[in-house]
Amino acid sequence: MKGKVGILTTNFFNPEGNRIIYGGAERYGFELTKLLIDLGYGVRWWQIGTGWKKELLPGVDICTIPETKNDLQTFPNVNQHFYEQAMDVDYAIYFVTFLAYPQVLKKSISISHGIFWDYPGFDSQLPTEVERKEWLRRMHIALGGPQKIVSVDTNTINWANATWPNLFHKFEYIPNFVDTEQYQSRIAHPDKIRVIFPRRLTYVRGLNETVRAAEVLTKKYPQVEFHFVGRGHTDQLEAEALKWASEHENIYYYWQPPHAMPEILRHMDIALIPTKGTEGTSLACLEAMAAGCAVIASPVGGLSDLIIDGYDGLLVKPTPTDLIDGIELLINDKNQREKLGANARAVAAAFSMERWREKWTKVISEVFD
Amino acid sequence: MKEKAQKQKIVAMMPVRNEAGRYLKEVLAHLSRWVDAIVILDDCSDDDTIDVTGHFEKVIVYKNDEPLFASNEPAMRRKLWQLAAEEKPDWIVAVDADEIFEDRIINEIDLLLDQNDFYGISFRVFDFWQDPASYRIDGGWNPWRKSLLFMVRYNPHLDSQWMQREVHCGRFPQAYENRIAYYSDIRVKHYGWLNPEDHYRKYLYYRDKDLKVFGEVRPFTQSIQTPPATEKWRDAKNLYFLDGDR
Repeated sequence: MKGKVGILTTNFFNPEGNRIIYGGAERYGFELTKLLIDLGYGVRWWQIGTGWKKELLPGVDICTIPETKNDLQTFPNVNQHFYEQAMDVDYAIYFVTFLAYPQVLKKSISISHGIFWDYPGFDSQLPTEVERKEWLRRMHIALGGPQKIVSVDTNTINWANATWPNLFHKFEYIPNFVDTEQYQSRIAHPDKIRVIFPRRLTYVRGLNETVRAAEVLTKKYPQVEFHFVGRGHTDQLEAEALKWASEHENIYYYWQPPHAMPEILRHMDIALIPTKGTEGTSLACLEAMAAGCAVIASPVGGLSDLIIDGYDGLLVKPTPTDLIDGIELLINDKNQREKLGANARAVAAAFSMERWREKWTKVISEVFD
Repeated sequence: MKEKAQKQKIVAMMPVRNEAGRYLKEVLAHLSRWVDAIVILDDCSDDDTIDVTGHFEKVIVYKNDEPLFASNEPAMRRKLWQLAAEEKPDWIVAVDADEIFEDRIINEIDLLLDQNDFYGISFRVFDFWQDPASYRIDGGWNPWRKSLLFMVRYNPHLDSQWMQREVHCGRFPQAYENRIAYYSDIRVKHYGWLNPEDHYRKYLYYRDKDLKVFGEVRPFTQSIQTPPATEKWRDAKNLYFLDGDR
């Protein structure tokens, strides 16, 4: 074994350990773990939790740190516990940038999954100038610690470069991936147009705007189906979503494991990624592109690294009206729908899993070897 | 391009005792649509349970010489597990004679199992209460807050020791219970509490177990006798575009 890598994150599971989070970041975590194992490293994960321990993959444990204190959008106590407890760790990966505040292990990498301080409620969480300045100071320390920062989008790099030019060379742009081999040919269904929202049910992903669009458009176009495919953040929300869908003939709510999404997506025509903030190069967007769906996304976070408006998708403001207009345009224009889908499929090839692994291997060898 | 996966062999295992007049026929009819074999261990029924199972060609029946479930549930479960393993399954489903998965499973099961990421699948269980269209939601009965492990990928190299508990000893060997499972949104309908006439009999069964193990009647057992809050069942739509033949 080349050495042991400790990966620090906030929540792979919920803190009680009884509910795994199936977001893009967690899938990223699985793929990164597999790559490290393939490269000959041992891996152990750490997250916030109540003392439980699980096996994430064969031979890969996830341990918990009983600290929940969120201090100005950073977790200094979690960082300190990790630093003191991970004594058998040779290298560290801080899975979220702010977890690298204040201290990092000697050989370490952090990951930016995209700008999260454009989150609609973020400003009110740091309501005073003093707090915002202090948060920025901490971010600078967090970004300054690791040898490299892997950024999934150019948006974050541009922001950091404009804010702290001295950090520019720390950043490595490695956009997210899609395993294009998993995507088979599309299934024709001439009597239906299926629209998918392949995201977790959170308002920041444009859930409420999409709900509005679904209600309006399924009423107007009987051939249109809406599929909401993703877990809610709470059990109650999932219960309510199922009830709501059961009241609408052409609206579906369910979720699927990641490996099933290629099969689901080949039956879909239009994919909606109308996120409002805290977005990188969305895995859901890349998967919809690889499946040949016509994507309607918003110009937020790293989505504009994936979508060129009018070529491989549409970029619209995430409001109900703009979203409805964009979807309606594609409902009524089969040629445009198919052209955007075909281009998206071609573009997705540039974001292959193979390229992602190659780029990560290079960063790992530069920092850890 | 990805190749179409080989269908995996799914074996259901089920303990039964005097189920003829209850839900067994419906349960077996539904299971027959999406599993390859159903291994049943009869715990000395004295009704027509065995006759009912005879109508289903995927069923393989074994019988205990002496009743085992009430006195030693882990031993009963372990024996059933070993019998199911003899069918050389890829996956084993542990299901009781009063539980039915919602129809979505028929179309989606092959898609669900075509992976190497997880070892088990948990499902939410809905306890129908007095009314075949409503389930109980108060306190510990709330189905939205809990999932149960129903399905595991069989691995002959894993230890087959059972959790030694008087009740609620799990449906699988401990080694499987500790592994990471996928949480499916497909729901399981549990009819075991549907008939009010069963409530008092079940209350007495769990009360006696509680007194034996804990020295007191636990709140969840007490709740069997308290007025329930219920919610109306709503059917989920089938993903009709997926191929579900088996």
